Amino acid sequence: MVLISVEIPFLMSVFSSFTKWNGLDKAQTFIGFQNYHELFTDDPKMWGAFGFTLKLTLGSVVLVNILALLLAVILDSDVKGKNALRAAFYVPNIISLIIIGYIWRFIFSAGFNSLYEKTGLEIFMLSWLGDVKVVYFSVLMVSIWHSLGFYLVIYIAGLQTVPHELIEAAMIDGANKTKRFFNVTLPLIVPSITVSVFHSLSNGLKSFDIIFSLTNGGPGNVTTTIALDIYRTAFVINRFGYGTAKSVVLFLMILVLSIFQVQIFKQREVEV
Amino acid sequence: MKERFILPYVWTIVLTLIATVYLYPLFLVLINSFKTFQEITSNVIALPTSLEWHNFANTFKVMNYPRYFLNTLAATSIGVLGVVSISSMAGYKLSRTNSRISFIMFMVLIAPMMIPFHSFMISLVKVAKELKLIGSPAGLGVLYWGLGASLALFMYHGAVKSVPRELDDCASIDGASPLRTFFQIIFPLLQPVTVSVIVINTMWMWNDFLLPLLVLSGSKKSLTLQLAAYNFFGLYKIDWNYAMAGVLLTILPAIIFYLSLQRYIIKGMVAGAVKS
Repeated sequence: MVLISVEIPFLMSVFSSFTKWNGLDKAQTFIGFQNYHELFTDDPKMWGAFGFTLKLTLGSVVLVNILALLLAVILDSDVKGKNALRAAFYVPNIISLIIIGYIWRFIFSAGFNSLYEKTGLEIFMLSWLGDVKVVYFSVLMVSIWHSLGFYLVIYIAGLQTVPHELIEAAMIDGANKTKRFFNVTLPLIVPSITVSVFHSLSNGLKSFDIIFSLTNGGPGNVTTTIALDIYRTAFVINRFGYGTAKSVVLFLMILVLSIFQVQIFKQREVEV
Repeated sequence: MKERFILPYVWTIVLTLIATVYLYPLFLVLINSFKTFQEITSNVIALPTSLEWHNFANTFKVMNYPRYFLNTLAATSIGVLGVVSISSMAGYKLSRTNSRISFIMFMVLIAPMMIPFHSFMISLVKVAKELKLIGSPAGLGVLYWGLGASLALFMYHGAVKSVPRELDDCASIDGASPLRTFFQIIFPLLQPVTVSVIVINTMWMWNDFLLPLLVLSGSKKSLTLQLAAYNFFGLYKIDWNYAMAGVLLTILPAIIFYLSLQRYIIKGMVAGAVKS
């Protein structure tokens, strides 16, 4: 059947993606665990990238979820024009990350310059992409700016599933707004939180495009992420075998962290 | 009780203000793409004094926009069509077959959802080279089949379960072949999933950068829009007026797509995210 003929190439592509993580190229000689040995003992660059990626992921997971949830709660109450507002916050999400990075390079340099001249606020005079201390926040801000809309929409969808009767019942029982939110709404939208945290976690650990165009890993190497490091190892300095070793580590890291996270959140889900 | 009537408007105003600040960078891109170079260097936030359409004309030409637009369109449509047809058929068949093999196959096929692209991209490029899928938008589209099929298959597999099996039986009693049953009876019923799959994959393939960079950057003729834009920015590092015109031209198709299908896009993205 037609099915079989389309399945085969598909299976093949999936299959090859599987076999190659630990596979060294045919043309290369087998060197056992040497790559891994080098990776764990003699690659400060990689560990720098590792640390930055974790820091960036942590920051964006926490901030993007809190901000998105906060906005979603406000938008879910009876605000006028909520659809237009939701659509507005979603706009950056449809632009490719490579362009986002470039737009912000323009804003950080030329745009902030003009804003400083107009407002005189010191914050616009910081070297947003050149200062080792500041650049983390620039990258964090841009990636949150890009992805907030996506998580916002997930949370709004989650909030809409919360039954109105429960909120009203809590209201009659005399629970105030904060109490209603933390004791009724929040437990009921844990599935949305699970989904959002899962996505922000794995997207954070995989950050590549935005770094590539915004800072290209600089200044120095402070904003190099693991994905960018893998790309450079394999395609810039042509050490394919070593690159695959790093990518196996990335895979395991994402796998372990995601399973860990989903497990924790699943336990907290409640049925209505 | 007065508070209840005023409060929504207060929030609307506050949120509109936040949204305005939120989208202000994009507004800056828009106004600066119409300015002359001197205007940008003197003041970024001022409105342009005259509309410099020349920026766009030049960018359009230097960037070779039409060609790369068509390349991206070709790669995306080949990719999306492939993903939809492969995974809807496979999802239907696998969901209707209750054998152990079918379950194992399903698991094997959806497992890649958990594997980050970066951890197999190196070998993917090698495989693609051997299959001669490198250097052409069509090849890129074919590569997307494998990458996009897992999630789509997973979504179709779940949706087929909610379609009653009696429909299949009725169709086969009436003499329809399995393929005809699928295309005329089942596939139309899966339309919501199909919309989701199309939206998710279109947005992703259109905006993808890394895979095109890996498989297309060698051949000048077959770049995608994102790649061409990236090269273009390298060319005009300081000429912000051209660069901003380039940004605008590059994001324009996505913006138009979004504005015209906004409701479906938001719904589709949520469905895809939540189901995975």
